[in-house]
Amino acid sequence: MKIGRLLIVALALALLAALFGFGLLRGSPDRDIASVLVGKPAPVFDLPLYERYQPEYGASFALADHVGKPMVVNFWASWCLPCYEEAPELQSFWSEYQDKGVLVVGVQTQDKDKRREGRDFIGRFGLTFPNVFDNDSQVSVNWGLYGVPETFFIDAEGNIVGKHVGPVTVEALKTNVEALLR
Amino acid sequence: MLEVQLGPLGSASVFIAFGLALYGAIAGSLGAMRRDARLQTSARLAAVAGFILATAAVVIMQAALLGDDFSVSYVANHSRIASPIWVKVVTMWAALEGSILLWAWLLSGYTALLAVTAPLSPLRPWAISIMQAVQVFFFAVVAFLANPFTVLPFPPLDGPGPNELLQNHWMMAVHPLLMYLGFVGLTVPFAYAMAALITRRPGTEWMAQTRRWTLTGWGFLSAAIVAGGWWSYEVLGWGGYWAWDPVENVSFMPWLTATAFIHSVQVQERRRMLKPWNVLLIITTFSLSILGTFLTRSGVISSVHAFGNGPVGPAFLGFFLLVTLAAFGLLALRWDDVKDRADLDSVVSREGSFLGVNILFVALTAAVLLGTFFPLIVEAVSGDKVTVGAPFFDQVTLPIWMLVFLLMGIGPLLPWRRAQQQRLGRNLLWLAGAFVVSGALAWLFGVHKIYPALTVALAGYNVMSLVLLLSGALVPRMRLTKQGFVRVLRSYAGESRRRVGSMIVHFAVIVVALGVAFSSGYRVDEQVKLDFGASAEFSGYTLTAVDRFMERTPQRISAGAIIDVSRNGKPITTLKPRLNLFGEAGRTVPTPAVYYTASHDLYLNLNSTVGPDSTFVVLRVVKSPLVTWIWVGGLLLALGTMYSLGGNRRTAPARAAAEAHEGANA
Repeated sequence: MKIGRLLIVALALALLAALFGFGLLRGSPDRDIASVLVGKPAPVFDLPLYERYQPEYGASFALADHVGKPMVVNFWASWCLPCYEEAPELQSFWSEYQDKGVLVVGVQTQDKDKRREGRDFIGRFGLTFPNVFDNDSQVSVNWGLYGVPETFFIDAEGNIVGKHVGPVTVEALKTNVEALLR
Repeated sequence: MLEVQLGPLGSASVFIAFGLALYGAIAGSLGAMRRDARLQTSARLAAVAGFILATAAVVIMQAALLGDDFSVSYVANHSRIASPIWVKVVTMWAALEGSILLWAWLLSGYTALLAVTAPLSPLRPWAISIMQAVQVFFFAVVAFLANPFTVLPFPPLDGPGPNELLQNHWMMAVHPLLMYLGFVGLTVPFAYAMAALITRRPGTEWMAQTRRWTLTGWGFLSAAIVAGGWWSYEVLGWGGYWAWDPVENVSFMPWLTATAFIHSVQVQERRRMLKPWNVLLIITTFSLSILGTFLTRSGVISSVHAFGNGPVGPAFLGFFLLVTLAAFGLLALRWDDVKDRADLDSVVSREGSFLGVNILFVALTAAVLLGTFFPLIVEAVSGDKVTVGAPFFDQVTLPIWMLVFLLMGIGPLLPWRRAQQQRLGRNLLWLAGAFVVSGALAWLFGVHKIYPALTVALAGYNVMSLVLLLSGALVPRMRLTKQGFVRVLRSYAGESRRRVGSMIVHFAVIVVALGVAFSSGYRVDEQVKLDFGASAEFSGYTLTAVDRFMERTPQRISAGAIIDVSRNGKPITTLKPRLNLFGEAGRTVPTPAVYYTASHDLYLNLNSTVGPDSTFVVLRVVKSPLVTWIWVGGLLLALGTMYSLGGNRRTAPARAAAEAHEGANA
């Protein structure tokens, strides 16, 4: 009798476990919403560059001027914690790939009037790829950002071919960019 | 200045609290098994020490939040320098890691209180050990899976701030706190029920010792649900307060089973019946509260309430399965001890009505459970994605609620064991009369929808039931003592707090029911486009868009419209629905403006952005009757629960005598 009752409890629980296990493994239904921009030309922008990049790129950076080489456009903000995680990764990727004709652009966005914090962020990680400042977050709207950080991959024709949500790693950057270089 | 590293300090407190809970759980059970008083005492001391350490962790978290210490990961992820102080304080429970810390802290507080105040009994050591075992899980999550005190190698200069929806209303400071106080409060009767099973003492002892805890937990949970509804009404901008969203449902289900429980324990207290049923209900209540946390924290079911996902989901699932297996398994093993020996004398009796209302509450739970999990079940079986919305829940639950109200009126009027025909007949006549008269009045005044009309009829019926209950108790006393009504009422209310408290709660339930029935049945909802300077008519009101406005505080920017509200040419009020923009992340939160009256609310929400050069504004205008009754009813319900709990503890014999009297005088 006791065994029978225990079996019923165990069976019911096994069913529940299977159901919820399925729910967990399936992943959240709302994650990984594909960007509608993938496959379309990247929305252009022309934004002021931070001082340290001006000798090399001029006072502002226009995306349209650089179409012709694969680009990585990374959106970040000074208050965003995962951005602190990925900044060294981006820098290390950049130092390896800038000679292969790949351009990395950082866009500080959703960070109104935080120029001082932006400078501090760039200085802390010694970012040598160009970083621009999107003060009124207009570009982040045009690019359909859900949050920061997000990283877009753009081919030599200026089309968005992929998007990475959340902190990016050197491996992820390489996988995406190698496909563009081939 | 000496740098105090708050992160490691906080982690250390949590680790020690975890160790103390683990020690207490083991030492307490060993002590109970070997009847070793010293081990039992050391477990109780560990409970108190654990609470002190958990308090230290909370204080450290608060210090980090208030001091903007962004080297602490939780602060960096969820706080912001510009937030006002109250927002920083409540940021502790605005996100996952902090809210689990809060839960663990409250749990350790209840355990410590239990360790200090619970009367000595064979159940106590086991109950405290079980509370500590639950603590082990929560502190393990805080320490190992979602540690809010993790130290960041590169502390940012500022953080993003808590979720905007949560900063937008002070109610968000209160709602989660009440919810956790409710869940934690209901852990106490669960722990005692388990102790009763372990020690094979399934009598009334475990309930008698946890009655106050159960009621406290239930009261907090009720208040939390009403508070959550009010928050949703004031913040979400659709003019409603309940959407049958999975996250709402999972807080509602433990409330339903807990409500069933507080009714059915009385049957066991009085008639020694429903023993296995009570154990089953309290296990289910506790399991459902853990299950709810799993669902809301794992992304298993999609919901508008986005909480972060993470490793916590599987942990809560594991804990839910473990608790359920252990608790139901133990019940299965002890079934022969727990089984009832008495039988129902008659269905028409107090215990019969309690049983009926229990079945209804379990049916409600089953309906909500099915509706909530149905999409997941379908997806697991066939891969199709379906949603179950409000129409399902309304259709299934409304008829059950009507039956609940029916029993709520008649139940307290029935005596225990068996009703006498004559007395019952007279009471039924009064009740039926009140039902018909109030239903007919509602119909005459234009309430022609079935559920609102039925609710009015049942409200009249229930008020009559309360009148009969009170007069049944007071009139004989007045005759006996020759004292006036007020004096007798006062002495009765002082002596029979439990009875009077339950009357207040039942009355509050009627008030809430009327509010829900009318606000959902007779709501008018329109979209109005207004040029600035122009006016529009809406349901007896004249709305004039006077101007736009913009306000800036360090934490947010508000932009909105100034709307003058008048009625028959007389100005009534000025409402300022707005959009609030918090922080840099650029998320705007529409913030409705509400004109509250006792009979209906006028609710304005912006449906368009308002800038310096806007020439018009689009408003969502909602008029819903009796919404305020829900909040007032909720408050009344909390007060009734408090009344029932309050007062001096009577000596045991005096209490027994008074309760015997309470039972008999219906």
